[in-house]
Order: sequence, then C-alpha cells, then structure tokens
Amino acid sequence: MTEQTSVLRDVRRGMIPAHIYNDGAVFALEKERLFSRAWVFTAHESEIAKPGDYVVRRVLEDSFIVTRDEKGEIRAHFNMCLHRGMQVCRAELGNASHFRCPYHGWSYRNDGRLVGLPFHQDAYGGEEGFRRKGQRLLPAPNLATYNGMIFISLDPQAPPLADYLGDFRFYLDYYTKQSSGGIELRGPQRWRIKANWKIGAENFAGDMYHTPQTHTSVVEIGLFREPKAEKRKDGCTYWAGNGGGTTYKLPPGGLDERLRYVGYPQEMIERMKATWSPEQLAVIGDNGFMISAASLFPNLSFVHNWPRVADSEDVLPFISIRQWQPIGADETEVLSWFAVDAQAPEEFKALSYKAYLMCFGSTGMFEQDDVENWVSLTSTAAGSMARRLLLNSRMGMLADGAPVTPDLSPERFAGPGSARVGYSEYNQRELLNRWADHLERPIDAPAAVEVGTADGRNPEGCA
Amino acid sequence: MSLTSRGTPPVGELSARSVLGGDASRVQRTGRPLPFGDERHLQAHEWLVDESYLLSAQKYEEWLDLLTEDVHYLMPVRVTTALGSGFDTSPGMAHFDEDKYSLSRRVARFLTEHAWTEDPPSRLRHYVTNVRTFATDDPEHIVVESAILLFRSRGDVQESALVSAGREDLLRADGDGRRLARRTIMADESVIRMQNLAIFL
Repeated sequence: MTEQTSVLRDVRRGMIPAHIYNDGAVFALEKERLFSRAWVFTAHESEIAKPGDYVVRRVLEDSFIVTRDEKGEIRAHFNMCLHRGMQVCRAELGNASHFRCPYHGWSYRNDGRLVGLPFHQDAYGGEEGFRRKGQRLLPAPNLATYNGMIFISLDPQAPPLADYLGDFRFYLDYYTKQSSGGIELRGPQRWRIKANWKIGAENFAGDMYHTPQTHTSVVEIGLFREPKAEKRKDGCTYWAGNGGGTTYKLPPGGLDERLRYVGYPQEMIERMKATWSPEQLAVIGDNGFMISAASLFPNLSFVHNWPRVADSEDVLPFISIRQWQPIGADETEVLSWFAVDAQAPEEFKALSYKAYLMCFGSTGMFEQDDVENWVSLTSTAAGSMARRLLLNSRMGMLADGAPVTPDLSPERFAGPGSARVGYSEYNQRELLNRWADHLERPIDAPAAVEVGTADGRNPEGCA
Repeated sequence: MSLTSRGTPPVGELSARSVLGGDASRVQRTGRPLPFGDERHLQAHEWLVDESYLLSAQKYEEWLDLLTEDVHYLMPVRVTTALGSGFDTSPGMAHFDEDKYSLSRRVARFLTEHAWTEDPPSRLRHYVTNVRTFATDDPEHIVVESAILLFRSRGDVQESALVSAGREDLLRADGDGRRLARRTIMADESVIRMQNLAIFL
C-alpha cells in the first residue's frame, strides 16, 4: 500500500507511473475498490425491447442476466444458481420466460424468482427445510437507467445514478437522445485486446492530440475530412460530472446549417430542436462545437464522427458506445455498439451503420490504429524500467498549475462544467483523479446473503 | 460441413438479411456437392487457393480485382444462443458488411504510409480446406464452401492470433475466369481473439 500511496500521489499531480498500465497489484486494487463501487454500463433498454428479452453482461468476472420481465420491468440478476452455484443462463441473448439450471433443474422466472425446485418436499421437507417462497436470484445491488441506458453498481450504498452522472447528462443526451424515441443499440461486436482498460477510456475522454498523427491515413484516403492537426486543435474539450469529451469546431453558420454539415437530414434536425434544451442547441448553433469522443468514468466511451460512406462529397454521422471491459492488467474486452436515433429514417440508419463499420469497431479504420498503439504501450509498461518512468500527463498546465489556455466563458461555451479550446490532458487527469479517489478508499465488506434459511437475508427476499 | 447451428437460416441467405446486402446477388446453391473430379469444383478450389495467396501476401489491389462491382462481403457477429432459438448471429450487426467502395477504402488505407496497425506488417497465413462446390440455377454462378484458418503474427514475441471461420462464396463467371460476387464469413468465435480485423478472410 505504501507503494500505491506514492503512485496515487504522483497521478494526482499529473505524473503517471507507467506501470499502472500493466501491473497485477494495481489491477487487484481496481477490482476491489473501483469496479465494486462505480456505476457500470450493462445494456440499453432497446436491446431487451420485449418482455422476456434478455442479454448476459459482466462487471469484471460477475455475470448478470439483464432482463425485461413479463411486466416490462428491467432487472439484473447475478447469473448463479442459488443451489450449487451453476451459471443459470449460458446464452448471450435471447427471449425466455424462465431460466432452468442444467445441473439440478432449479428454475427461475425472468423476474428472478425461484419457482421450480425439484423434490422440494422429498429432499428438503418442503418450506420448513428450505424456504422457497421469496427466494430469487441475487439482484444487482443497485440498478438505474438514464435515457434507456442500464447501469448497475455492486455497491448497495452507491449514490443515485443521476448524481453520479451529474452534468455529464447534458452531453450524454447528444449521443443517446436525439429525439423523443431515444436510441436503438445494435451489437455489440466483442473482441479482446492485449491492452490495459484505462488507455481507451483516457483516449476517448480527451485525447485530441493523437488524432492528426494516429489517424493520418483515414484523411489520406478521403474517409474523413476533419482530423488534420489544424482542425483538431480548434475544437474544445469539456469535463462535467463524472465524464468529459472532445469536440470539433464547426465552420461558420447557424444551427441547422451546422447539423447539416455533419450530415443530419432536416427531419432529424427538427427532432433535435424539439428534444434538446436551448443550451444544448447553443453549443452547436451559437458556439459552433460538435461533440466527438467522450468517456464516462470508469470504462464507458462514446464516439460521434461523420465520414464519407460512398464516392461523393456527402458525409454521414454515426454514434458508437463502447465499453472497455477489464479482463486483466494487460487485457481488455472491447464491447462496441452502434447506436442510432430510433426515429431516424431507415436509409439514414443503414448508412450510419456503414459509417460506423468503416470507422470504429472490430474492423474500423480509426480503431485499428488506436489499438495497435495501446497494445504496444501495455506490453512496454510491464517491466522494471516502466517503474522508474513518470509519464508527463500535465499537458495544458504550466509548472505552477496555471492553465495554458483559459477556460471558455459561458458566452463561448453554453454547456455545464469546464471547457477549453485546444490540446490538453485535463480530461485524462480528471479520469485518473477519480480512479485515485476509489483506489485509496477501502471498501466495507458486503453483507453475505444466506439462501433458503428462515432468517435468510436475501435483499429482496421478503418482497 | 455445417456452417450454422440447428434451426438457423442457411448461410447463403444471411446476405439478404443483412443491413447492407440489399444489392447483392441472391443466387443460391442447389442439390448435393459436385464430385471432386468435376471441372467446376477443380476451378473453384484453384481460385480459392490463388486468392488465399494474395490475402496472405497482402497483395490487396490484385485481390480487389477478383471481386465483382456488386460484391457483398459479409462477416456477421456470431452470438451464443440457446439451442432452438433460431439465430446465432447478432441481429443487425456484423464485423464486415461491405461493398466494393468500402473495401476499396480499406485497401487504399493499407497502401498509405500511415496505417500503423500494419507497420511493421503482420505475417499472415491463410489455410483453406474442406472445399465443397455446388451448382446453382444459373450456369454463370457456382457456390463454394470452405473452411479458413488465419494465423497472424505481429512483432517478435507477441502472442500470435488465430481466426477460424467457415465461408460461403458465390463465384460468377467472367471471361476465362471467375470473380467473387458474394462472401459470407462465419467466424467460429463470438468474441474475436485478435486485436483487430485489419485483415481479410
């Protein structure tokens, strides 16, 4: 811990001990103190649109069945049979009224309730020996949604999700609520990369600096017109609540003109105008910034870009939501979804999907080069020399902490939080400071849940 | 060789069901596989072996010339579903759902000096096996099924990666040779164990 204390102290002053990107002890601490507490994204309501629909998602090693029950309620239950601990549901997605454990045949309704217990009377002596009534799969300690995004927290004492998201909700709406219909999520594509999970989260949070270098090739082939160094540094980064992101500076024009510039058809623009607040519209229409990449602490990222998808000058915007699911200190599973406004015209949805596939995800031309860098960084961080190196992550700050570029005034940026034009690492520092906050705070051991006894302490057992 | 699980649609129909396969050829296989001695089978097998050489050697411009203008190149995302659920690919999502334009952009990118993911280049080996050829109702087209295993090595000591997949191709006669009009790649993994798919199968 003494060693970790100095690591956290260095991180807080923007000096990053390189080994935190590949260190088993650090990862153990992240597991114990960060992912056991933070709100983690699991699924979007559109993925389980009908009663009985389910997806199976993990928070680190913990598997959860995320279902919409027969009454339409969204639930998440730990995917472990109450009897012998078998994984109850072994598919990734589907529709089911019940889940039956293949081991001894215990079965659960899709709202988690234990309904089938073979030989209950013969084997246990009925209710007296094993209280079946009120038993259910272990629910996620906390579950809440925002714009249909389903988050869970393993901490029963977690702050309300709305507080956790804070003012980042203002920016989340750009990605997840372009109309009253909200978004539809498709996917995810899933693949594993030998890279530490924090690198992707930091990159999407604020790394405008890498774009002109890493992504040169996509400009050269005419896919994207924006990443040139000059264009990128005119954008601003912002941080609000528990998240932050990057923007591009749009050419002069009004709101409609600027939304058309990134490829939105007029009917979608009209719905945005009816859905977003005056301030949300002002960031685009008056201030001239268009959201691009973003991250929500700890491991959820967003991207919005507008490439060419055919041999013409037209561009098409797309949105992707992605999770950096930690597998180990040096391995991450990427879950990358395509998101699109549910009320968008069908043709737009198809072309936006094409834009996504060309740019991001397992085959995306932006993503390919990002991952190459992150894998390389992670493997270099494993050795003893990396323990001697403090990476300077103080971009945007002078030696005394004074900013290189002042914060944008409310007249120049209508969004909440703080924002500044140009290259900086403020957002990466915000992310890692929160990471340090969790890592230095010990957790209380969670209460155990006893199954089937008279004084069973199943949290929802009495319901 | 079965490319899909019980009760799921035939692989040849996935193109029509995909988001971007609207303009793809709909010609489907008929009957039993052609005998191995059949001239069409021999030609198709030779075509696949020649193509795999181009893919392993990253001679992507030459490879593009083997594709028809209306080619549909599809690699669905496989998902684990309960037996009998009737699907084993992710609805509305794929790894590749490409036309000639998007494939040409991918190839063009590899030809720039800034496609870092392939600089230094990977060492690739495409193993093609289990080839079966089928006639169609249209004498201009044949369907070829194959298994493919891609071995990819990057750097000196990085762990190598594999992708195993089944493929169903629609080959169209074109002058003396044939071109690929439709390819459906059925990866055998739900979670891809390769850092990206900056390769072709």
